[in-house]
Amino acid sequence: MNKLPFHTKNAIILSALITLLLLACLCSIAWIAVRAKNQSLVAEIYQNGTLIKTIPLYLVTENQTFTVTGENGAENVIEVRPGSIAVISASCPDKVCVHQGFRSDSLLPITCLPNHVVIKLRPAKDSDASGIDAFTY
Amino acid sequence: MNDSRKNNDGLSVQRLTALSLLTAAALMIYAMESMLPTLIPVPGIKLGLANVVTLITLKRLGVRDALLVLLARILLSACFFGSLLSLLYSLSGGLFCLLILWLVNRLLAGHYLFLTSITGAIAHNLAQITVAFFLTSVGGVFVYLPFLMISACLTGLFTGLCAHFTLKNLPPFKNERF
Repeated sequence: MNKLPFHTKNAIILSALITLLLLACLCSIAWIAVRAKNQSLVAEIYQNGTLIKTIPLYLVTENQTFTVTGENGAENVIEVRPGSIAVISASCPDKVCVHQGFRSDSLLPITCLPNHVVIKLRPAKDSDASGIDAFTY
Repeated sequence: MNDSRKNNDGLSVQRLTALSLLTAAALMIYAMESMLPTLIPVPGIKLGLANVVTLITLKRLGVRDALLVLLARILLSACFFGSLLSLLYSLSGGLFCLLILWLVNRLLAGHYLFLTSITGAIAHNLAQITVAFFLTSVGGVFVYLPFLMISACLTGLFTGLCAHFTLKNLPPFKNERF
């Protein structure tokens, strides 16, 4: 070990750190995936960090679409189906949010970074079951 | 390579040409990469091939020139293809990435370029997700973190190897001490 030049030692330390990081990532993904196995989901739509709409997806009975508009003509058309939600068209250039498709798990939020729109899916709480959803307001 | 500092304050024609060439190459790579379809629909996951040019510039010409090429590439690509927001993401990611690349490259004495590149990619994604957090103020964006870290390791390895083999085959610039 003492014969090794200092950069080789550094490389070994760095590789070990990266391996640790990878392991931690795999563990957290497994943890997230386990937690995401929830049946009743509530979609929360955030724009610029504020919650603008809450939709209990398990109460949705028929497909509905609505548009979230933002600054500078930013538009995200969101479609809600029973148990799932998707951005079906967007004004942003990369359309990552559209490619994420219909989501029915709380694994990853649907994110449109250019338009500051984030759709989070979370497991339903008891207080969500009151029957009041975004469409009745 | 390091005694280039002597003349670094002025832009000699040779240095200007080399840097412009590298910037043009980086822009081309960036443009072509943005035309590729997104394979994994997670925001922030991309190959980052333009980083190959940053790595090459860093190793061949040093950190000051790498910074110049990086800034020129980011500003120009924002003018051509992007918006103000993507500029913010690219700038934060790119600058933090370069800082880490420079430090790690010194720690490793220029060896093991792929490790340097992986660390840089991790730094890039970390910086971008932090900016995303401040812009959206939704803590949920950090859920992407493990996915981004794993993709950073893979893409960093790939770009690092690309840069390594390019450096091996790229003839030396005529006068690397501008």
